Amino acid sequence: MPTENLSDKRMSKFKNKGKEPTKMRDRRIAECVELRKAHKVEGIMKRRNISSVGDEEPLSPEYNTDNKQVFVISEAIQEIVANVNNECPEKQRQGCQAARKLLSRERNPPLKEIVEAGLLTRFVEFLGRNDDPTLQFEAAWSLTNVASGTSWHTQQVVEHGAVPAFIALLASPMLNISEQAVWALGNIAGDGPSYRDALIDCGVIPALLARLTPDAPVGYLRNLTWTLSNLCRNKNPFPRFSAVQQMLPSIIQLLHHSDKSILSDACWAISYLTDGPNERIDVVIKTGVLPRLVELLGFEELAVVTPALRSIGNIVSGSDLQTQAAIDAGVLSALPLLMRHPKSSVQKEAAWAVSNIAAGPCQQIQQLITCGLLAPLVDLLRNGDFKTQREAVWAVTNYTSGGTVDQVVHLVKCGALEAILNLLQAKDAKTVLVILDAINNIFLAAEKLGEVDKLCLLVEEVGGLDRIEFLQNHENNAVYRAAQALIEKYFSEDGDDQCLTTEATDSNFVFGASDVQKRFDF
Amino acid sequence: MTSTSFHLPIMELNDGNLQTLTEYLQKTLSPDPAVRRPAEKFLESVEGNQNYPILLLTLLEKSQDEVIRVCAAVTFKNYIKRNWRIVEDEPNKISDPDRTAIKANIVNLMLTSPEQIQKQLSDAISILGREDFPQKWPDLLTEMVNRFQSGDFHIINGVLRTAHSLFKRYRHEFKSNELWSEIKLVLDTFAQPLTELFKATIDLCQTHATDVNALKVLFSSLTLISKLFYSLNFQDLPEFFEDNMETWMTHFHNLLTLDNKLLQTEDEEEAGLLELLKSQICDNAALYAQKYDEEFQPYLPRFVTAIWNLLVTTGQEVKYDLLVSNAIQFLASVCERPHYKHLFEDQNVLTSICEKVIVPNMEFRSADEEAFEDNAEEYIIRDLEGSDIDTRRRAACDLVRGLCKFFEGPVTGIFSGYVSSMLTEYAKNPGVNWKHKDAAIYLVTSLASKAQTQKHGITQANELVNLCEFFVNHILVDLKSPSVNEFPVLKADAIKYVMTFRSQLPKEQLLEAVPLLVAHLQAESIVQHTYAAHALERLFTMRGANNATLITPAEMAPFTEQLLNNLFKALAIPGSSENEYMMKAIMRSFSLLQEAIVPYIPTLIGQLTHKLLLVSKNPSKPHFNHYLFESLCLSIRITCKANRDTVGSFEEALFPVFTEILQNDVQEFVPYVFQVMSLLLEIHTSSIPSSYMALFPHLLQPVLWERTGNIPPLVRLLQAYLEKGATTIASTAADKIPGLLGVFQKLIASKANDHQGFYLLNSIVEHMPPDSITQYRKQIFILLFQRLQSSKTTKFVKSFMVFINLYCVKYGAIALQEIFDDIQPKMFGMVVEKIIIPEVQKVSGQVEKKICAVGITKILTECPAMMDTEYTKLWTPLLQALIGLFELPEDDSIPDDEHFIDIEDTPGYQTAFSQLAFAGKKEHDPIGDAVNNPKILLAQSLHKLSTACPGRVPSMLSTSLPAEALQFLQGYLQAATVQLV
Repeated sequence: MPTENLSDKRMSKFKNKGKEPTKMRDRRIAECVELRKAHKVEGIMKRRNISSVGDEEPLSPEYNTDNKQVFVISEAIQEIVANVNNECPEKQRQGCQAARKLLSRERNPPLKEIVEAGLLTRFVEFLGRNDDPTLQFEAAWSLTNVASGTSWHTQQVVEHGAVPAFIALLASPMLNISEQAVWALGNIAGDGPSYRDALIDCGVIPALLARLTPDAPVGYLRNLTWTLSNLCRNKNPFPRFSAVQQMLPSIIQLLHHSDKSILSDACWAISYLTDGPNERIDVVIKTGVLPRLVELLGFEELAVVTPALRSIGNIVSGSDLQTQAAIDAGVLSALPLLMRHPKSSVQKEAAWAVSNIAAGPCQQIQQLITCGLLAPLVDLLRNGDFKTQREAVWAVTNYTSGGTVDQVVHLVKCGALEAILNLLQAKDAKTVLVILDAINNIFLAAEKLGEVDKLCLLVEEVGGLDRIEFLQNHENNAVYRAAQALIEKYFSEDGDDQCLTTEATDSNFVFGASDVQKRFDF
Repeated sequence: MTSTSFHLPIMELNDGNLQTLTEYLQKTLSPDPAVRRPAEKFLESVEGNQNYPILLLTLLEKSQDEVIRVCAAVTFKNYIKRNWRIVEDEPNKISDPDRTAIKANIVNLMLTSPEQIQKQLSDAISILGREDFPQKWPDLLTEMVNRFQSGDFHIINGVLRTAHSLFKRYRHEFKSNELWSEIKLVLDTFAQPLTELFKATIDLCQTHATDVNALKVLFSSLTLISKLFYSLNFQDLPEFFEDNMETWMTHFHNLLTLDNKLLQTEDEEEAGLLELLKSQICDNAALYAQKYDEEFQPYLPRFVTAIWNLLVTTGQEVKYDLLVSNAIQFLASVCERPHYKHLFEDQNVLTSICEKVIVPNMEFRSADEEAFEDNAEEYIIRDLEGSDIDTRRRAACDLVRGLCKFFEGPVTGIFSGYVSSMLTEYAKNPGVNWKHKDAAIYLVTSLASKAQTQKHGITQANELVNLCEFFVNHILVDLKSPSVNEFPVLKADAIKYVMTFRSQLPKEQLLEAVPLLVAHLQAESIVQHTYAAHALERLFTMRGANNATLITPAEMAPFTEQLLNNLFKALAIPGSSENEYMMKAIMRSFSLLQEAIVPYIPTLIGQLTHKLLLVSKNPSKPHFNHYLFESLCLSIRITCKANRDTVGSFEEALFPVFTEILQNDVQEFVPYVFQVMSLLLEIHTSSIPSSYMALFPHLLQPVLWERTGNIPPLVRLLQAYLEKGATTIASTAADKIPGLLGVFQKLIASKANDHQGFYLLNSIVEHMPPDSITQYRKQIFILLFQRLQSSKTTKFVKSFMVFINLYCVKYGAIALQEIFDDIQPKMFGMVVEKIIIPEVQKVSGQVEKKICAVGITKILTECPAMMDTEYTKLWTPLLQALIGLFELPEDDSIPDDEHFIDIEDTPGYQTAFSQLAFAGKKEHDPIGDAVNNPKILLAQSLHKLSTACPGRVPSMLSTSLPAEALQFLQGYLQAATVQLV
């Protein structure tokens, strides 16, 4: 997920001016443990088909009581096994359909039970039954839903040999069957990098792209776009360049579609492709997609804005040139609105993008000023939710570390200092440390202007001194040391240290050079 | 585990060894060091043996003697603390079998031990855990979780306490994959059982609602569980807790609103179980509100209401302080967030918060009254210096500020009503209702203060509050009251009001207050007279037009005598004999009044000296002492400015005390004494008095120079010696010159102090008769070159350039060139090329630049080697550098790796450092009027040079000096009305 490990990512960027870029990338790609729930607005990894087809009665609500349900299900599965293994096509269709219905229930579909009943072998076999499209369809649907489960479920489907069968089905003249195959393959690709690459090895990309025609119905295209996005997804490793090159033109084309759901998934695809080292970002920028992405930032639908913004955020975390390309495409005029977006998740991502732009050279920082991003940034520092504030704090620290003295002064005048001082109360050690870093940067600028005393007063006036002093009791060593260093350097007197030594007696020092120097050379 | 743990000697696990160990443990408890020490030594000598920790554990479990069991537990914990960590490249101090055995048994042992031992073992487990958990102690968590089933809350609380000590670091460590993997693992095993335990414990509270003892145990479990909740939720909102938010928040909310008569404590000071639990729940709610706002939103309004109700129903006792301030802080942090603004918007809500939460918590409590009377110092620190982070008043103030963010108008309106009703109450019966007025003043202050600093008081005030009117109607009355000692709290409030709003009140009102404040210096109450002194001190520092003091000595004239009298009399009041505010006010009064104090000095100096003698016996109040010395300096400066001859009488008064301080080596005072002596010595006009010369050899003692605080004042004192007594030193103390140079050598060896070394060296070169140092000159330069070679920092290079140019001015350019080239051939050229030309732009300070300009001019025009040897190629570049020094802005760039060398203490020609502000001396220009305009000097010198060798100078200029520089140079020549030939 692109937002993971942000701080490390930024830290490396922030600190790496002049350091090896490869090291920085290692950190960016580093895996990260998450405690949170996977986020709701993220692109969906796997989906189950639970749409009900017109001619069917909905499942009766009295399945609710647990014991009864288990009992009923095991009975139902026994019946399915019997039917599916029957030689009679009618029975097979019946069994397959019953399985599909069970697997399409809203709640607690018996994925595991179906697998354990050994039904997958037969279902995969049925995929090849070109003579019986209904059976093919029901089997494809059932397998799609099994593959939508956990990794273990997906693995069962793959190990039963479903991949080549599904790829073959893509070419089916029956649109609903082909669509179901697209869907199933999407679930398999979404499982992770190894199945994704396995699919690519089996030639899934040309087979999919062949179905991307102007007359394809929107519903079909939605599935197709989603599956393509899953083929772009996941790192460690990334999908190989040749595969990306194959898919990109079609994805760019989809990015101009009018359907919001297609746009959303196409944007997610772009966001996956840009979530990587600079070479990856370059491939995407070269397609000329940036102006369109910026345009999409202005859409109303959250489902479009979120991945578009994520993509932009990824791009501006790249090299200075790549960031400049995004700026040239007009991203800075789109960001202020997003920073004031009603959804805090959008504010956060926008602040993240700003923080990365602020990590650039002072010319880019100047553009932040010119395009009026400081006022909304300070608003976010004051009123954003915590995650947004954290990103905004990074923006301030990056800005103050790379900005010129005048730029830093300007930021302070916009109210950023007071806002970050308030955030010293944040319950997150890293954020506090990053703020202390920013304060230190601001003091360095004040030193150059000879206005340290004035800054000291300002910090004290808004209650910042109290907070910094309080942090000298912080449990985290780095935090308390940083606070102490600030206090010692700017709010009190100081000590010093020694290098060489001079001989001494009780009454005085012994004057005279100890050794005859060989040769002086300065 | 490392493989270095093989050869530990083994102690058998037998009764004999247990017996021996028991005996030694017993002895470690002996009050007699002759018995105790050898026993401790013995234990240390055997702790490296295998089985030693197992023997200790056996004893703490099985010994018949309760004392020995506890002693073994403490010894065990300390042993673990010292030895458990495996340090890379050091031997493993505990054998692997012992480690395994300890980990296998300790949890069980901890849980089954009595409380005293349990605590020790729990500490030991957290030390083990910090090192081994989770990788090397995989089953710890499951073992703990299994105990939740035991149903025995003694055991459960032991587990919870241990868990707390293991998990609390999640609250302050940085996010890292390692940390988060650990938290994830903990969540996977622990979160569900903890939740079950939480629910079960709450159910049990219902079941045992009437059983006090059971409830006590259950509530301490709940508090621990709530703390664990805080730790586990700190880094990020875990999926599990998001899914179970309903359960936790519902219960937390219920617990907040719960009151159980059985759990109420009699104690007024110590927080009870209910308070501790609720206070932790407030923290938990505040955590969620701050960090997980989106997810917590649905629950927040409920918590706001519950916490506010809690505040309304909680009493004034000290035991509730933490709870109340946590609860108020929660409201304060929520009310300033835009999307919760609506929760507070309603006029009734606002009124109710103001009335029931803010006002009551601003009231002066009996605990405050006690502190005011009996512990004035602490009261002042809390009230004046703001070390009141956790107090109710502070929290209430924060809430007022938070509410003012969106509701300044309504809040001010509501409070104005309160203020007048409280004042009316007070007016009805001041004797009984004086606290109402105190609260009213506090309320006005907190409402009006928007920004504040120590230096200026309130710098931004709420425009809706009329501060002047309040001053006239309610503050002046108390200040004017004829009975100074009546209602001391209100008097202190009134004084504080003047101090706080000094920048807001018009000058006439401040002038009206001054004599009243002077009168309050006589109050018996320490807080009251201290505040009066502080207020006066602050008023005297205020600046008016033209940066002059706002209050002038003329305006103070009618009160001068009274002021000085009262200030010194207050130092005699018990409890204020070393009152730093009083002494600071004395200093500030001297500084303000200047010559007006001269008539009083003969009396006052005696009092100050007497004070100094007293405090030098045992210096305990650094600020008081500092201001005492500042006051002495002011007395000297002001008096001697009027009449230099009085310096002798100061020396007479002070030297006996100074001698005592130096003889007894009162470390805190020695640097001050040197500074005052410098000041005195500098006032002398003729030669150096013999009393100073007697001290001279002692000033060179290395032991004095080892203390960094002595260095700047000692250097300054030696400079004064050189200025006034260089010839005396040369004639009567020539044998001390090497020692003096030794000090210089010592100082330039240090990156931090090298500039001090140059101050000294510059004074030596400037003042010592040349003959007296001839023999040392070469050594001096060799030392400087050695330092330049080993660490060429910007600060050193700057000082070095000033010095060599000063030397050049003093001894001539030829002398400089010859001594360099004598040390090493071509040395002079190297210094000019590698140091002066590229770096001279960095020299800062008027005097410093002048010295360099004059020195370089001499090198250019009075040094034949520059014209006639291979140095000639440096001539034009050096001239260009000199013109750059005149015309270009100063180069203040510092190489990156030097940013941390003593940034504040940038070198100047003079001793910039001075601890005592009023002992500072004026900038000294060693060239003085000899050269007024270095540019003219350059022009004239070049002219002279060109007439000596016609044609050469113009040709050198025309071939290689850039046009721009040439243009500047022509300007100088024109101004000097000379021409080059």
